[in-house]
Amino acid sequence: MKVQTAKILYNKEAAPGYFRIGLSWKKPAIKAGQFVMLRVDTGGDYPLRLDPLLRRPLGVYRSIGAGVELLYQVVGKGTRILSEKTAGEFLSLLGPLGNGFPAPPKGKKVILVAGGMGIASLFMFAARLKGATLLFGARAKAETAVADDFKRLGLKIKISTQDGSVGKKGLVTELLKDEITDDSVVYACGPAGMLKAVSRICHSGGVTCRVSLERAMACGIGVCLGCAVKTNPHAGRSDNRVYQMICSDGPVFDAGDIDWDAF
Amino acid sequence: MTKSSLSVVIAGIAFKNPVFTASGTFGYGNEFKNYTDLNKLGAIVVKGLSLAPRQGNPGPRIVETPCGMLNAVGLQNVGVDAFIKEKLPFLKKLKTHTIANIFGETISDYVEVARRLDFAGGVAALEINISCPNVKKGGIVFGTDPNEAHKVVSAVRAATKLPIITKLSPNATDIKVMVRAVEDAGSDAVSLINTITGMVIDIAKRRPALATKTGGLSGPAIRPIAVRMVYEAATVAKTPIIGMGGIMNAQDALQFIMAGAAAVQVGTASFVDPDAAVKVVGGIEDYVTRNKTSVRGLIGAARG
Repeated sequence: MKVQTAKILYNKEAAPGYFRIGLSWKKPAIKAGQFVMLRVDTGGDYPLRLDPLLRRPLGVYRSIGAGVELLYQVVGKGTRILSEKTAGEFLSLLGPLGNGFPAPPKGKKVILVAGGMGIASLFMFAARLKGATLLFGARAKAETAVADDFKRLGLKIKISTQDGSVGKKGLVTELLKDEITDDSVVYACGPAGMLKAVSRICHSGGVTCRVSLERAMACGIGVCLGCAVKTNPHAGRSDNRVYQMICSDGPVFDAGDIDWDAF
Repeated sequence: MTKSSLSVVIAGIAFKNPVFTASGTFGYGNEFKNYTDLNKLGAIVVKGLSLAPRQGNPGPRIVETPCGMLNAVGLQNVGVDAFIKEKLPFLKKLKTHTIANIFGETISDYVEVARRLDFAGGVAALEINISCPNVKKGGIVFGTDPNEAHKVVSAVRAATKLPIITKLSPNATDIKVMVRAVEDAGSDAVSLINTITGMVIDIAKRRPALATKTGGLSGPAIRPIAVRMVYEAATVAKTPIIGMGGIMNAQDALQFIMAGAAAVQVGTASFVDPDAAVKVVGGIEDYVTRNKTSVRGLIGAARG
């Protein structure tokens, strides 16, 4: 697997500041929950743009006929430049990377919990599930632009927004408290605060919880050691590392393995 | 075009080309096997090794900066024994040299790591890191004080027959004094520059962005400083210089060679493109072919 030059098929603003971008990619063998490292450059053999220098990790939202679709929200320099790109331009892509979501155990009630852009990592996984529930929390309605995609998959969906512009006003963790049962298994992706709270709720209910984590990273392949996450001692593998790398050990972890106080 | 137009000899070792990977940006080599042709590299300089494994610093460990990045990984590594047992066998099979970067909190740490690597075999040279800014003890004291640098290099010199490259800090007051000190202590080559200490403040949190507050700045942002320091070092160096600092492509690498470096290391660029170092080899090859010259003929070419 090498760095590839991907053609932009479309780059559409689905809601203010919230984009869907389609990238050409022949036969991508992507596991649900994997991500790519995207560089807002012209592709090709050499980087032309030195600022921003680093690639950005983005979850693969879904496979489309001729490639993949990613979601992003304009939050900084890199995503602003990305939002100005148009169909026919090129980007530099590395991936797919990371471990992805493990299949849920049979007979369990599957609950997906998404916070904001965390939704992007859950679609491919959701597409494999039957009878699952999605709890989707956002700051405002604009961030729920892709909720209909999940409805078409046949998921049961409950939405909460902090400003009450759609769904229940409040945090997604309130929805989880109502939804969770002893035979649930939970998969979550979202901001740190939400993941901490989801993990706490699952832990106190004795419910298995898998989280997809995000942190600034330079390489995406386990080398820069920038995206270290502190894990509990029992989570140590044979090498007893205190820190695991979100990119190469994750991004999906058992919530019980993460030292949430340090996250 | 012959292979020898790219080859260089440093510390008695013949390298097929002058492009090495920089320590801390290339893991232990095996992480890159699916992304690049490791056999095309002049050498692989592995992640810094200490006597005992190190877990590294808490996060956030990196933050992007204009044309660069700050890191404060804290020398996380598997330790010299695990390196020899688990990582070195893979490296030994490659058609390139392995250079082991070593560091310690005390001089006796450095000496013991050097001894174990010497005994293990399969390592072409040691690169002594006296310049990491991201650990509280050790490193930086040796890197900015010529007397301390002399002591640590002398001690390692006495403990091993392996060629010694000493990696210098740009945070030293006068790089020329450091070059003289480590050469006098028996260092066979110097490499520079390591990262430059920097800070980014997260204005939303009103705190430094890195957990350790400061980190090492790398990437093209530091390249002009690095080229200048290689040029300065070359005015006094009696041993070969290995230049690094923000090299993204062959043009950048050639600046270092023309400033006086016999070889270069590619660092942060490998994060952006895991194949970057091999592309630099190809670009240098193109340049020497086009200009009917050799790398050896270009070393110090910009010096008056």
